[in-house]
Amino acid sequence: MSISIQNLNKQFGTYKALDNINLEVNSGELLALLGPSGCGKTTLLRIIGGMELADFGKLLFNGEDVEQRDARERNVGFVFQHYALFRHMTVFENVAFGLRVKPKKERPNEAEIKRRVHELLSLVQLDWLHDRYPAQLSGGQRQRIALARALAVEPKILLLDEPFGALDAQVRKELRRWLRRLHDELHITSVFVTHDQEEALEVADRVVVMNKGVIEQVGTPDEVYAAPATSFVYQFIGNVNLFHSRDHAPWTSEHGDVVAYVRPHDIDISTTRQDETSLPVEVKLVRAIGSIVRVEVAADGSSEFIEIELSRERFDAAPLANGDRVFIRPRQFRVFEEASAA
Amino acid sequence: MSSFKAHSVLPGFNLALGFTLLYLSLIVLIPLSALFVNTASLGFGGFWDVVTGDRVLASLKVTFLTSFAAAVANAFFGLVVAWVLVRYSFPGKRIIDALVDLPFALPTAVAGIVLATLYAPNGWLGQYFAELGIKIAYTPLGIVVALTFIGLPFVVRTVQPVLEDVEAEVEEAAASLGAGRWDVFRRVIFPAVAPALLTGFSLAFARAIGEYGSVIFIAGNMPYISEITPLLIIAKLEQYDYAGATAIALAMLLISFALLLAINGLQWWSSRRGAR
Repeated sequence: MSISIQNLNKQFGTYKALDNINLEVNSGELLALLGPSGCGKTTLLRIIGGMELADFGKLLFNGEDVEQRDARERNVGFVFQHYALFRHMTVFENVAFGLRVKPKKERPNEAEIKRRVHELLSLVQLDWLHDRYPAQLSGGQRQRIALARALAVEPKILLLDEPFGALDAQVRKELRRWLRRLHDELHITSVFVTHDQEEALEVADRVVVMNKGVIEQVGTPDEVYAAPATSFVYQFIGNVNLFHSRDHAPWTSEHGDVVAYVRPHDIDISTTRQDETSLPVEVKLVRAIGSIVRVEVAADGSSEFIEIELSRERFDAAPLANGDRVFIRPRQFRVFEEASAA
Repeated sequence: MSSFKAHSVLPGFNLALGFTLLYLSLIVLIPLSALFVNTASLGFGGFWDVVTGDRVLASLKVTFLTSFAAAVANAFFGLVVAWVLVRYSFPGKRIIDALVDLPFALPTAVAGIVLATLYAPNGWLGQYFAELGIKIAYTPLGIVVALTFIGLPFVVRTVQPVLEDVEAEVEEAAASLGAGRWDVFRRVIFPAVAPALLTGFSLAFARAIGEYGSVIFIAGNMPYISEITPLLIIAKLEQYDYAGATAIALAMLLISFALLLAINGLQWWSSRRGAR
């Protein structure tokens, strides 16, 4: 089922949580809403789920206006950051809940409920826990049960609010791969909210980058990383060095008063001055982290550190040590007006 | 005992248990056993004759039935009040929250006099009921009103924190799964607060059984109809019938204890099913 959001606005008191949002979610895709906390991503998700009402604007599922329908009539599965499982029910009863509260005519019989619940529990690979209570499960297990519970009512849309936010790093990584595989199996239109750019880039088909209630960019993970539309996206996704043209960015001379954004891995280091656009710097810190080597340098007369990432091979070919004087030049960069730079 | 100790990582078990037993003995057990001792002077036959007297039986019936009715009413309305206080925010919420505790602070006799005045056939509220042919003050119904007033904070204050513990998210999750409001309440909220509600109920019930001050002003105290047992005990004391008074008190104590034990058992059972 596709979702269409048109001119959506939401205000909490004087605070504008969503400012004229327009967004199309294609049927069957896995979309990430990415942004820092307070950017409005969760509010947007809750409006889609019917837990919050927009001040004005349109929300369409498959072209049909759903604004007047409340949460239980939208056929939307919702997964919460803190699981929101029913504490007094077993895992089985949690998953069966959505089936048991169906109107009498649509409610499957007990045998069918049993079959469906066990099927879902097998899907999330936790059938062996069916008679436990939520308090007896680990965080990762709870979130998988929450997902099975949401899927039990065969929702047309799945909404996930920071689904891995409360889990530790290892489990988070494992679960997001698992979510991606599950989505490839079920092809259910899914929107998930995250503040973790790595998570968004790894899992989603498309990423929506939000900031302060507006959408900064919509694109594939590759697009938002390689071709950020705004300075905010540049800074929020991946690491970036900022060079102010006035101070120490000789290669930006033709652009006027601007800020240049350069990724750490897009900077070349050489021991000799190539041309007048090279910037002389001093190596301040060299740190090898797994397959990459991170070098921090500072321009003469500047206390700001510039971060450079080299592959280990490149570094080994021309090793650097603290205090070395070298020249740097970006292979590629983007410039933004001084005023628009965050 | 030693196996108890071995399982606990907290120090001071012996000291804490010793203190608990000593304290309970001084405050609860010794006064109560005095009751037994005093009653013993009657002998079992004498005791039985006193407590199965018609007037005593009638008063026990009034006391326990009105207390039960008041506790049920409090369980229901207390849950509603707690719900409103937890889930909604509105101007004056803090004031209402504070108002809930007033029955704790008010001298019960004052409450009884106020309620009796209000609900008397010519009182502010009583006159409208009188038109409908319902008499509240000076009837068992009046006793229920007084006991409801007295017991309300018990339910609200036990349910409120538990309800606060049930995240709004859980209700939203239930709604997104298609549950209507009634289903959300019946299947999600009620089971979560049931143990606390039962605690509040039994506290309100126990308090109502022992209530004296507020009831005697509104009850009318007609023997066999609206006379509560505590009043009967006082009456016996005034006639210097100490043994008779303690006999009735003992009977009340035994019934209360049995009822509270049963409620505790029910609670243990329901919480074992629930919040594990």
